[in-house]
Amino acid sequence: MSWYRHRVERDLARWQTAGWVSEAGASAIRAELATRRSALGVAPIFAMLGAVLFGCAVMSFVAAHWTAMSKLARLALLLACLWGCYGAAFSLFRRQLSAFAQAAVLGGIALYGASIMLIAQMYHMEGNPPDAVLMWALGALLAAVLVPSRPALAASFVPGVAWAVWERALAGVAHWEFLALWAAAAIAAAWLGWRPGLHLAAISLVIWLVPLGFFLLDHHAHWIIAAIGALTAVGAAAAGPAIDRRIAASAALFAYAIVVAFAGLYLLAFVDPLFERATDKSWTPQLVLLSFLTLVLLLAAMLWAVTSNNRGALWLAYGGFALEVFSLYVKTFGTLLNTSLFFFIAALMVSVLAWTAYQLHRRSPPAEITA
Amino acid sequence: MTATAARIILSLAIVGLTETAVLAYMVIDRVRLLSSGREITLPVVPVDPRDLFRREYARLSYEVGTVPVRLLEGPRPRTNAAFYVVLQKTPDGSWQAAKMTRAFPREPSPDRIVLKARTTYAWPGSGSSETAVRLRYGIESYFVPEGEGRKLEALAREKKLATLLAVDGEGNAAIKGLVVDGALQYEEPLF
Repeated sequence: MSWYRHRVERDLARWQTAGWVSEAGASAIRAELATRRSALGVAPIFAMLGAVLFGCAVMSFVAAHWTAMSKLARLALLLACLWGCYGAAFSLFRRQLSAFAQAAVLGGIALYGASIMLIAQMYHMEGNPPDAVLMWALGALLAAVLVPSRPALAASFVPGVAWAVWERALAGVAHWEFLALWAAAAIAAAWLGWRPGLHLAAISLVIWLVPLGFFLLDHHAHWIIAAIGALTAVGAAAAGPAIDRRIAASAALFAYAIVVAFAGLYLLAFVDPLFERATDKSWTPQLVLLSFLTLVLLLAAMLWAVTSNNRGALWLAYGGFALEVFSLYVKTFGTLLNTSLFFFIAALMVSVLAWTAYQLHRRSPPAEITA
Repeated sequence: MTATAARIILSLAIVGLTETAVLAYMVIDRVRLLSSGREITLPVVPVDPRDLFRREYARLSYEVGTVPVRLLEGPRPRTNAAFYVVLQKTPDGSWQAAKMTRAFPREPSPDRIVLKARTTYAWPGSGSSETAVRLRYGIESYFVPEGEGRKLEALAREKKLATLLAVDGEGNAAIKGLVVDGALQYEEPLF
C-alpha cells in the first residue's frame, strides 16, 4: 500500500467517525484508490536499467580494443547499435509500448555517449575532454525535445553538469556557458510539463551555483552565493502566491534557495578559512558572526516552512542545523570553553523562540476556515 | 502511417542523423589530419598506464611537454585555452620548443613546426623566471590492446620509444604510430 493510500485510510476512518463522510462515500473513495495503479510500474524501470546496462556492455566490448576488429568494423558496430536503439524505439512507440520505447531512446543516448568516447580512443584523441561531454549532453537534449523524451532530458543533466564541473576544474573559471545549456534544459522540462525534470534542473543549478564563490572576484566570494540564496528564499516566500498562479513552484524554490544560502554560509565559515595562507585565529569573531547568521537563516527557514506547510524545506533546514552544529562542535571557537559559551547562547536563543512560539500559539484562536 | 507515427519516425531520424553526423565528423576530421598532416617524430618520456573509463592506455610524456615560461611571446594564454608552441628541429633530428604565442604564428621554415597546446597551470607572473609550464598537445594518450600497456611502458623507460605524429596547418596533432628503436612498430590504420 502506498503511503498516500495509508494516510487516506487513516483520515477516512476519522472523518467517518466525525460524520463528515458517509459510509457510501468512504467505500467509493476506497474503491477509487484501489483501481489507481502505481505510476511507477516495475517493468519500465527494469527496461531503463536494461538499456543502460546494454550500453555499458557495448562500451566494454569495444573498449577491450579488439585488434581482431578493424576500426571500420568497430565504427559500424557502434552505429548499428545506435540506429538499432532508435529503430526499436520507433517500433515500440507504434505498438503503444511507450515506456519501453523511452528505454530504447535512453539506450540510444547511452550508446551515442559511448561512441564519442570510443572513437576518441580509437584515434587517440584528447583535445579538450569536456567538449566531448558537452556533445553528449546536446545529443541527449535534442532527443528530449524532438521525441519528446523525459528520460532523455533527465540523462542530459548528467553530462551537462559534468561538462561545467570538468571545465571549471581545468580552466578555473566560473563557466557561465553552463547557464545557456541549463536554461535550454530547464525550458525543455517546463515545456514537457515534467515536475521531476524541473527538480533536476534546480539540483543542477545548485551544483553549479554553490562552488561559484571559488571562481568569482577574489576566490572567496561565497557571501555572494549566500546572498543570492537568501534573496531568492525571501522572494519565493514573498511572491509565493504570484509564482504559484503560474506554476506551483514557490515551495520548491524556497527549499532550494535555503540550500544555496546555507551552503554559501557554510563554505564561508568552514571551508574558506582552509585556503587562507595565514593560520592565525583572527577569523574566530567571523566564525561566531557567520554561525549566528546561519542559525538565524535556518530558524527563519523553519518558521516559514511550518507556516507555509513546506515539508521539504523544513527537513532541509533540520539537516542544515544538524550539519552546522556538528561542524561547530568539531571546529571549536578557539577553546572548548568559548565553544560551550556559544552553544549556551544559541540554546537560550532557540529556547526563547520556542517559548514565544508556544505563547503565540496558545493565544491565537483556531483559524477560521474560509471557503 | 498515421501522423503521430510519421512525427515519431521523423524526430528519431533527426536525432539519429545528428548524432551520426557528430560521430562521422570526429572520424573524418581525424582521418584528414592523419592522411594529409606533416609528419614529425617526437621522443617519449613515459609516466604510467590505465584509464578507469577506457581500459588500457599508455600515458605519453614528451620533452617538449615542459616549456620554460620565458619562451612566451606576447600576452599570456588563458588557463586551458588553446595557444601555440613553435618547435625547432635540432641537428640530431629531434625537436625543441622555440617560442609560445597566443595567436597562430606564421612559421614557413621547414625546420620549424607549430603545435596547438593547452595548459591548466596558472601562468607565473614574471616572464623572466626559469619556471616551466607543463603543456598538453592532445597526443599524450595512446590506447593499446589489453596487456600491451606495460610492455610499451617498459620500452619507453629504456628511452627507445617515440611517436610518429601528423600535424596539420592549424597546429592540430595526431598520433600516427609508435616508433620503437627507430623503427615504426605500431602503425595506426586509418580505418
